[in-house]
Amino acid sequence: MPEYEVATRAVLRALGIELEIVQQATCCGSPVVESFTADWVYLAAYNLALVEQMGHSTIVTVCGGCTNTLTRAARVLQDPDLRAEVNHRLESLGLSVTGRVEVRHLVRLLAEREEKVRARIVHPLSLRVALTNPCQVFRPGDIMGFDDPMEPQSLRRLVELTGAEVVEYGGEDECCGATLYLASPDLALAAGRRKLEAVQEADLLLHGCGNCQLLLRRFQRMIVRDERNLRKPALLLPQLVGLAMGLPEGELGLREGTWR
Amino acid sequence: MNHPDECLQCGTCVTVCPVEMVGGHAIVTFLADPDATDYSVWLCTSCWRCQEACPGGVSIYELMMEQRRREEAPAGYRAAFESVLACGLALQVPQEELDQMRAAWGLEPTRLPPPGLARALLCAEDGDRW
Repeated sequence: MPEYEVATRAVLRALGIELEIVQQATCCGSPVVESFTADWVYLAAYNLALVEQMGHSTIVTVCGGCTNTLTRAARVLQDPDLRAEVNHRLESLGLSVTGRVEVRHLVRLLAEREEKVRARIVHPLSLRVALTNPCQVFRPGDIMGFDDPMEPQSLRRLVELTGAEVVEYGGEDECCGATLYLASPDLALAAGRRKLEAVQEADLLLHGCGNCQLLLRRFQRMIVRDERNLRKPALLLPQLVGLAMGLPEGELGLREGTWR
Repeated sequence: MNHPDECLQCGTCVTVCPVEMVGGHAIVTFLADPDATDYSVWLCTSCWRCQEACPGGVSIYELMMEQRRREEAPAGYRAAFESVLACGLALQVPQEELDQMRAAWGLEPTRLPPPGLARALLCAEDGDRW
């Protein structure tokens, strides 16, 4: 989903943050690898080790799964015995890990810079937005340590900063269906359908995770079929914020004039 | 799967589960009713809502993952895991195609992980159950 990276880079650049890509990173593993082996932490630790090798103290994530897996890995790596075992395996790759890297999901990164974001808003949006909270960014609350784990407010506040109106539809913390797709495509599309039916009043769907965007945008035609009244545009958080910052659509991974 | 002693069978987990909301039955169905058979731990979406809300403090996520490792996986999970082992990514994208996708949006090329790296890190041998 290159457009997610494009928009994230554009918005963070406007806030004075430059991103550097983690070369040779693997899939974080969520939730697949952990479903097969208790050794999932070795793969997550590899990715954290790459960040440490780059000399960075923070990794920015734009997906709930990566955020959750990497944060929990960093936590369990505080156990010196496990860390030693992991480092033993990483040694042949010339890597080592301390687990001290901070994992920051884009929602959190922006929420922690609310005033800076507000100061950059030059083009308030008159849009009605239905949001879905990225499920793995806020829980488990004692490990993620950010926002209210059961009723998170940070994404809503960010959307409101853009001038857009948040449409309450009751499904803000319901499943987009993406992870369900791995086990049951039928249930996954039913979850997506439940959302599309509930957000009729909104101009667009707003997501803070690539998985939500995948199911509700790219797979939307599998849900809608010939019920064209169910169709709904879907934007990613940095695309919405970027539009309100007055950044050109083309710099936000949006095809000009066609995303509405 | 053993029903956890700390579970009060209060059903709070069922009320907050997004899978139950769309008519699926995940691990929470079993927690609320240990005699239930019509549920699958593979339907869990890893949203952690049940564990967050559980008044008994049950480590539902860990229970769910442990049970998954004892069971055959659905095709979607299996395919994604095989792909991670082979190329490090859940969905395989050839380097050239990735570079083209990125270039279309003006993004620099990135280097994919070496083949076999994930398999080695996870110490998976050919013929392992997983």
